[in-house]
Amino acid sequence: MFGQYSAFIIPSYLVSAAVIAGLVIWTLLDHRARLREIRELEQRGIRRRAAAREKTDV
Amino acid sequence: MNDLTAKRASLWDLANPTRFLAIANPVIPWLAAITIVALLVALWMCFSAPEDYQQGATVLIMFIHVPAAWLAMMCYSIMSASALGTLVWRHPLADVSLRAAAPIGAAFTFLALVTGSLWGKPMWGTWWVWDARLTSVLVLFIIYMGLIALSKAIEEPAIAARSLAIVTLVGFVNIPIIKFSVDWWNTLHQPASVSRLGRPAMDTAFLYPLLMMALAYTLLFVTLHLMNMRNEILRRRVRSMRMMAARENEAA
Repeated sequence: MFGQYSAFIIPSYLVSAAVIAGLVIWTLLDHRARLREIRELEQRGIRRRAAAREKTDV
Repeated sequence: MNDLTAKRASLWDLANPTRFLAIANPVIPWLAAITIVALLVALWMCFSAPEDYQQGATVLIMFIHVPAAWLAMMCYSIMSASALGTLVWRHPLADVSLRAAAPIGAAFTFLALVTGSLWGKPMWGTWWVWDARLTSVLVLFIIYMGLIALSKAIEEPAIAARSLAIVTLVGFVNIPIIKFSVDWWNTLHQPASVSRLGRPAMDTAFLYPLLMMALAYTLLFVTLHLMNMRNEILRRRVRSMRMMAARENEAA
């Protein structure tokens, strides 16, 4: 497809795609894990003081 | 309270973590969608570009190497501005921004090094040379890794934030070295061909796809940075909730 340079061009794009996909997946998994932790703590009745204040302000 | 103080107070409120989340949560999906469209358009433009008369098809590597290198430096500059925010204004979001940007900057620097090496072998005949540009970018990658390690090594948040900010600002000395290394020293790496005084030394057939990919990478960085900042704020909330639980247990 890219002639004699295929062995350099294809890995460049594959590595870039893999690193970017890895970064996105890691960020999404991190977000899900933090939300799960907060949910578990709230279910145990633990709330941040600031969150309680925010609720009374509203 | 005079007008200026009131304005400052409202700006300060706007940048508090809760307000940040209220703004970031609805913005992130839109930014992600725009980033995907920009990446697809950039890829289409890159693969539609003609072959270069000297580089041949390897110009395709340049389209992803150059934006990665720009982002590596831009990300570190944003981290340095955040470090100033921590040290000078003690802004709560400044440390969040610094920590959130570090892994993204490390990833883009890694990509700049790998794609540069994959371009260098067919064009220069070598995977690597210890010239000033390549070495200073490798140093940037090591600094990123060091900052990530430091951010995980110190438990106490205030000490960690100050230490990270100081080391980040010290490391900033490397950014002008990277930028001007090709002018100050005799390097195998070519000098700037886009960001230079006068017209870019590049035909528009290559310049437009390159700029489009740079825009797509920048949008990707902004999206990931916002997402990581959101995660970092949630991480701090978890920490404070766990500390509250521990205090309540002790009191009981």
